[in-house]
Amino acid sequence: MTAFSSWSGPDAIRPDLVAQYQRVWAHIASPGTWLTGAERVGVAEETRRARGCDLCSRRKAALSPFSIDGHHDHASVLPEALVDAIHRITTDAARLTERWYQGLLEAGLSAEAYVEGLGVAVQVISIDEFHHALGLPVEPLPEAGPGEPSRRRPSGATQIEDAWVPVIPADKLDPEDEGLYGNMPGGRAAGVVRALSLVPEEVRSWQALSGAQYLSMEAMARMETERALDRAQIELVAGRVSALNECFY
Amino acid sequence: MLRASIDYQGKQGDLRVVTEGSKGADSGVTHSDELVAFAEAALGSDEAVLASSRDALREVAGSEALVDAAGVVGNFQRMVRIADGAGISLDAPVALLSADFREELGLAEFSTASRISEPGALGQAFGGIARAAVATGLRIFGRRARAKR
Repeated sequence: MTAFSSWSGPDAIRPDLVAQYQRVWAHIASPGTWLTGAERVGVAEETRRARGCDLCSRRKAALSPFSIDGHHDHASVLPEALVDAIHRITTDAARLTERWYQGLLEAGLSAEAYVEGLGVAVQVISIDEFHHALGLPVEPLPEAGPGEPSRRRPSGATQIEDAWVPVIPADKLDPEDEGLYGNMPGGRAAGVVRALSLVPEEVRSWQALSGAQYLSMEAMARMETERALDRAQIELVAGRVSALNECFY
Repeated sequence: MLRASIDYQGKQGDLRVVTEGSKGADSGVTHSDELVAFAEAALGSDEAVLASSRDALREVAGSEALVDAAGVVGNFQRMVRIADGAGISLDAPVALLSADFREELGLAEFSTASRISEPGALGQAFGGIARAAVATGLRIFGRRARAKR
C-alpha cells in the first residue's frame, strides 16, 4: 500500500501535504549523502524509540541532562554517538550544548553524518507530530532502499561563529546548489536556512516539506496566505510552539 | 513574524500570549484562544485535552483550519530542532529588530538564550527606530491590500 494513503478521521488532509509526506518517506529510505538508506531509516526509528527511552526520560527530568549517564534503549545499526544525538534532539533539544556536539565529533561521529542525521530526524518528527496533533496513528516507516551515499561535501562549507556545525556562506554555494537559500535580498540567508547546508539535500527536503506544513520561502515574503488560517493565526501557532520548546528563533 | 502579521492586519495584539499561553494576554488574532490551546495540547501528553482542543478549534474555525494548524505545529517541532541541533545564533538583523519584545516576553530566560548576541545600547536604539518604521510600513501595506479587496 502507498504510504500516507489510508487516512481515517473527520479531517481531510490537503493533497500537497500527502504528496510531501510521501516524498519525504521515499527520501528517507534512499541512500543519502553520508548515510545509507538503512542508516537513515535507523535514524527515523530512533526518533520514535527516544519517546519511550528510559535514559532520555531521566535526563529530561534532571536539572542538567549531562549529569545522568547510561545507555539509550535502541536496536538500530547506528553508532552510539549518533543514537545519542538523535535521542537528545528528539526529547531535549533546547538543552543541547556546543560542548556536547564537540564530544560527538571526538567520539568519531563526522559533522556530515551528524547534520544528515539531524535532517532526517527532524523531518520524521515533524510528520509524526502532525499525526499526533490530529489524533492519527503514525505512518509505518519505509523499508530502506539499496545503494551507497554520494559523499559530496559542498566545497564552500566552512566553520563560522554563528553555528556549531559547518555551513555554506551564501556567496560560497557550488553551482549545483544555486538557489539553495532562495532569492533573499543581497544573497542573504537566515541562519536556520543555512543550518543544515553541509548536506544540501536535507535543506532542499525540509524546505519542500515546510512549503506544505507552513509556507514556502516565497510565500513567507507575503503577508496574505491561501490557507484556511491567515498569516497571523499561522504565526501565533508557530510562536507558541517555539516558546514551549524554549526556542528564541 | 507574529508581530509583523498583526501590524499588517492593522490590529493591536499583546504578544505575551506566546510565552504565557492560553491564560495570557489578548493577541488580537482571530480564534486565538482555540489556536493556542491546540498548540499547547499538541505538545502535551494528555490525549483527552488534545482531543477536546481539536474539537474546539474545528468548531470555531473549521476542519481545514485544524489541518493547517497541525501542519504548523509539525513544522515548528522541526524548525526548533534544526536551530538547536545546529547551534545557530539569532541573526543580527532579527536580534536588532526584536530586542524590545524579547525583553518584554522574557526570552532571556530560555535555556537557548546564550546563543543570542544582544545589540548594544546604540543598536537597541536603532532597532527601536527601525522596528517602528517597519510597523508603519506594514500597516500602510495592509490597509492598501484590504482596500483593494
